[in-house]
Amino acid sequence: MNLGALFSSTDMASTLIPETILLFGIIAMIIVPNLGNATFRLPIPGKAWRIPYFVGGKRFSFTSDPRLPSAIAAFTLFASFITALLSQMGEIGVADSCIAMREGVARAGPEWCSGGSVILEVNAFSRLMEMIFTAALLLAVIANWDRLPATPHHRIPLKTQRDEVVENRRLHRLLNNRRQVDFSLLVLMVALGMSTVALSANLFMLFVGLELASMASYVLVAFNKETKVGPEAGVKYFIVGSVASAIGLYGMSMLYIWNGDLSIASLHSAWTTGPNGMAIIGLGMMLVAFGFKVSAVPFHFAAPDAYSGASGPVAGVLSTASKAMGFVALMRVLIGITLVDDGSEWTLLIGVIAAITMTWGNIAALGSHNPKRMLAYSSVAHAGYILAGIAAIGALGPGEGSELIATAIIFHLAVLVTFKLGAFLVITLLECEGRGHELEHYHGLARRDPLIAISMMVFMFALAGVPPLSGFLSKLMMVSGIISSTVGDVSGSSLSDAMGSMSWVFWLAILIFINSAISLFYYLRICVVMFYDDTDRHLRLSRAPMIRIAIMLCTMGAVVLGFGVLADVLASAAHDAAMALFG
Amino acid sequence: MGEHSKAEWNLLLPVLAMVSFPGIRMAMGFDAIESAFLIAVVPLAIFPAILILGQIYKGEDWWKNQLKEGGIVALAGLTITLSLTVWLLVEFLVHHAEFGAQGTIFDWIQFEVFESEALVGTSTLSFGLWIDSVSLMVLFVAAFLCFLICWFAIGYMTTDPINEDRNHRFFAEFILFSMGMFGMVLADSFLWLFIFWEIMGLCSYLLIGFYWEKPSAAAAAKKAFLTTRVGDVFLMVGLFMLYDLYHSLEFAVIFGDPTMGGTIQGADLQWPLVLMFIGCVGKSAQFPLHVWLPDAMEGPTPVSALIHAATMVNAGLYLVARMFPIFSEASFEGALSDVAMLIAWIGGITAFMAALIAFVANDIKRVLAYSTMSQLAYIFTGLGVACWFANEGYDKYAIVAFGAALFHLFNHAMAKGMLFMASGSVIHEMHHAHDHAHLYDDDGDHHDFDPQDMRNMGGLASKMPVTSLAMMLGSMSIIGIPLIGGFWSKEGIVAQAWNVYAKGGEMILFPAILVLATAGMTGFYMSRMWFMTFAGKPKSDVVNHVHEDTQWIKTPLVTLSIVTAFSGFILACGHFVYWLADPGHSHFMTDLIEHPIDAILYELEHAFLPEDNLLKVVGWTAILLSAGVGPFIAARMHGGHLAEGEEVSRLTSWLISYSGSVGHTDIGELSEGGLATALHNRLYIDDAYEWVISKTLIPLAKICAWVDKNWVDGVIKGIESGSQSTSTWLRQFTTGRASDYLLMAAVGMLVIVGILWGVL
Repeated sequence: MNLGALFSSTDMASTLIPETILLFGIIAMIIVPNLGNATFRLPIPGKAWRIPYFVGGKRFSFTSDPRLPSAIAAFTLFASFITALLSQMGEIGVADSCIAMREGVARAGPEWCSGGSVILEVNAFSRLMEMIFTAALLLAVIANWDRLPATPHHRIPLKTQRDEVVENRRLHRLLNNRRQVDFSLLVLMVALGMSTVALSANLFMLFVGLELASMASYVLVAFNKETKVGPEAGVKYFIVGSVASAIGLYGMSMLYIWNGDLSIASLHSAWTTGPNGMAIIGLGMMLVAFGFKVSAVPFHFAAPDAYSGASGPVAGVLSTASKAMGFVALMRVLIGITLVDDGSEWTLLIGVIAAITMTWGNIAALGSHNPKRMLAYSSVAHAGYILAGIAAIGALGPGEGSELIATAIIFHLAVLVTFKLGAFLVITLLECEGRGHELEHYHGLARRDPLIAISMMVFMFALAGVPPLSGFLSKLMMVSGIISSTVGDVSGSSLSDAMGSMSWVFWLAILIFINSAISLFYYLRICVVMFYDDTDRHLRLSRAPMIRIAIMLCTMGAVVLGFGVLADVLASAAHDAAMALFG
Repeated sequence: MGEHSKAEWNLLLPVLAMVSFPGIRMAMGFDAIESAFLIAVVPLAIFPAILILGQIYKGEDWWKNQLKEGGIVALAGLTITLSLTVWLLVEFLVHHAEFGAQGTIFDWIQFEVFESEALVGTSTLSFGLWIDSVSLMVLFVAAFLCFLICWFAIGYMTTDPINEDRNHRFFAEFILFSMGMFGMVLADSFLWLFIFWEIMGLCSYLLIGFYWEKPSAAAAAKKAFLTTRVGDVFLMVGLFMLYDLYHSLEFAVIFGDPTMGGTIQGADLQWPLVLMFIGCVGKSAQFPLHVWLPDAMEGPTPVSALIHAATMVNAGLYLVARMFPIFSEASFEGALSDVAMLIAWIGGITAFMAALIAFVANDIKRVLAYSTMSQLAYIFTGLGVACWFANEGYDKYAIVAFGAALFHLFNHAMAKGMLFMASGSVIHEMHHAHDHAHLYDDDGDHHDFDPQDMRNMGGLASKMPVTSLAMMLGSMSIIGIPLIGGFWSKEGIVAQAWNVYAKGGEMILFPAILVLATAGMTGFYMSRMWFMTFAGKPKSDVVNHVHEDTQWIKTPLVTLSIVTAFSGFILACGHFVYWLADPGHSHFMTDLIEHPIDAILYELEHAFLPEDNLLKVVGWTAILLSAGVGPFIAARMHGGHLAEGEEVSRLTSWLISYSGSVGHTDIGELSEGGLATALHNRLYIDDAYEWVISKTLIPLAKICAWVDKNWVDGVIKGIESGSQSTSTWLRQFTTGRASDYLLMAAVGMLVIVGILWGVL
């Protein structure tokens, strides 16, 4: 593949507009903050001609502004989000297109979708997933706008020592800008990796994108290096994650040995003729890697540590975008490759994992007094709900019922960005004053800051699935999808007959109900302490306007996506995506 | 204070502006019937507004003085409902709009109906309006009285420091209560009637318990709620049975064809009607579910007026009146006469019993409470008689009895509303006078002084001329002094009860005797109340400090005095009675306007010289007993001249000089006797209930509480502690060491591969 094809062919450019924007954003992020008044003295003796070449030297005031990296990142992500949206709507570029390798050359365009060797695939599914990823990362960047949270000891210098103050401030700004650049750069890397995962039609591309995103996110977790927990969490996350990735890669290599081609279409046609033992083991090993990404039991252990060690926005990204990426990979493998008509091999396995995951997550969350760990476990539980949906798809095989459940899964992944990330952003706001990691820090929050407390209540209710919020709609779609497709036509027969003839997947839906009831306890506990308990701290919360804006965006999203026009729009987009996923 | 009250007139300007509301609706192109649902909707919207605003702004100056803690807002809302009601009346009386179902406002629930597993159609529960002469009359009574009582309440409630900063709760509940009554009267189905009925039940609980910090008030509220609940359960079962028969609870369906095309027999309807009647018994405080009503006096006096005159107790009567078309269905002839007789019997017993207890009551409001029970019982008797006639086929008499009973509802509501407000005025002023007289006492509270006890009053006629006049007129209406208010209706009820006997209903004899005797007893206890309060020498020094105040209290009294004095006569001569029972009756008021002399003579002749000899005897006996014997005895026992130098207005002075000139009888011995003690203890009925409850319900409740605490809570707590310890156990696996996590992941991988392998 020659890199030149990426920019030379208009087909390629119009197919990959959002990704191209991300790439340029990364390049801009590397270059722009380094611009300064550096000059180059021409080596002509006797002459002091200096030609400015801008990279280095004393930086300009705008390039050393701490808000610049966030602005670049936010602009990039926003542009990527909008172009993905517009191209999906057919306004720009091509709506459905593919990139295929033919005779060593990458070709782009709708006509290449058939005929094999497709590596990237642009369709409703990948575009919607891209939008989910970029939206989550955009919110995280906004929340990170002009400060790095969890550096509570940062203080404005006193006015008395004037010279020193000016000097300190400059130094400070320099440092802060550098940190912001690092942070934003990593965020853009994550975005690019995730987009690749969303687009990939080939397991190898999928793995590359997965690793790009994962590597960047390991660093993001460890980003708060001055705290004790941050690096520890990052390293743990890295060790467990890299082992899981290695196992997954090993599994892929087995599939490659078995089939000789890692493109999803080819693997699928081979799988329908019947996999052999090696392929099955390969599948199992890949499930380990993706299970780690979605934090399914028993691969979730690093997640609570990572979430509580990372700063709020990063934890929010891990629990929304990163998890959605894991599910994209999981669905590519389980639905794209191994789904067969009469009960896929992995159905029971995923069902068992789903049941254990949701129960484990909820019960562990019951006793957690650190809200971040609590949300981490709740994230585990949510993974269990989605896995239950995937298990139901496996039991049903391809068809309308499965598409319905897939719609619910995609819808859930989309709305999760609003309320799960929103909850982490509220924690971020508390982190600005160095708190937020104990339940008692939330006491009397309603009195300190009613608007934020109400937002948090909305997030908690949405997580618990209280109508009319978006969390309810997603859970309802999931459960009703599972029940209606498993129960089928039971009218006329007696209740006991109906119970007997029902698929075991039905009981997963019941388990979702029970787990939702359990989960209410710990979600409502936060609301109770916010509204009913008293606090001895009567300061208002940190002003942090950008975090508040991000929180308000999430609140509005959690409400308006629960019912009404926007919910319909999103649901139909999710349905299109599900159709595209099933092909 | 006088200047202050003068300044308060301007508060009424926005209230009066609300009178233009119907005009605005008219300009918008709606007619009265289309606007009728607003009668219930406007108060419903105002209820949360007062509650929320009051909660936010309580204690602030403008809320307290300009809006009277929400009173002005409530009054404005009630002005709207009253003006809409008047508009509706005009529409029906002048423009002769069609009675009956007035269309659906909204559909509430739709569901599919199955019969033996086969879909037979869908059923819709919708809310609509049903307007006929009965609902118009009750609606007007409710709207008019609620308006006046609210007016009164502004003066009564907001001058007491004890109510400081919580009157918004009172006015909010007050207006919700009114809304319940309006909605119930307008509803076009038994279902919505029941829903609004329950809203009133809730509000009565809240308002009776308004002084919840007083244990007696809290107990009274609980008693009222639970007692009416007993009736409501029966009512609900009755409605279920009715629904089972008709597959609908809409008036249009049930009254349209009570036989459902001949499929329903009269006997099928006996039980539903009896059960529904038990609900009415509870709501209207009839024997044996009357025990809540006297205790309900614990609420503020405007609440007493509201419950006993304008709304709650009328609800039971209204429901019985609503059953009337079923009784009058020709094909049910004779099948339901037992039910009708039961209604009459309950009425007769309650009328007599309540009057008896009122003989010895010393609390001015309690006398009125028992009088309410007694008068409602009259109406029940009248309705029972009407239903009996209707069911036996005597349509002519049924119309007279039905109209007389509902006419009595009107007269009683007007008079009783005024009496309660007048008693409230007395209590209010006694209370203030006591505070004033004992301003410098060391002991600040007045647990030794009861401002409601008539034994502390006496001679108030000169201190409170307006109140005493209002109370006199109200009492005369209740007693049935000829030509005034209640006389016209009560006469009709008593006469028709005896007429049933003449037409072959022997069973009526007992209640007929009782209501006749009660007529005389009413004369006694109402006169006794008036004489004890207003005539004679002051019985405590507090009386000397009493003086009448504030237009908020006087205006409703004057208004109602005029209504009570003249409305009975005018309406009676205008064939109100016939119009009530027969909406098509064309002579309502027209005869009176066109040939006034003839109409008045006709009515007088019917009232005093009926053709039937039995009716003549009964009528004159009733007049003699109620207007002559009762007041005479009361005057001998409790009357007397005022203290020296006290001036009384001419309108009441004749009564005082009469009471002073008939001599005096000492009743010391009689008041110590066994019967008096029994009456003081309300014939031991409350005690009997308490005994039964303490032997049955309380032990059962204790067992349930024990089971709940030890078993149910035990299970819940077990789940809770179990899940918490499971949580702790599960979180132990998150050791914090990456090697452990890898071990877990490895185990997980092995399990996954194993399962997948095993499936192959």
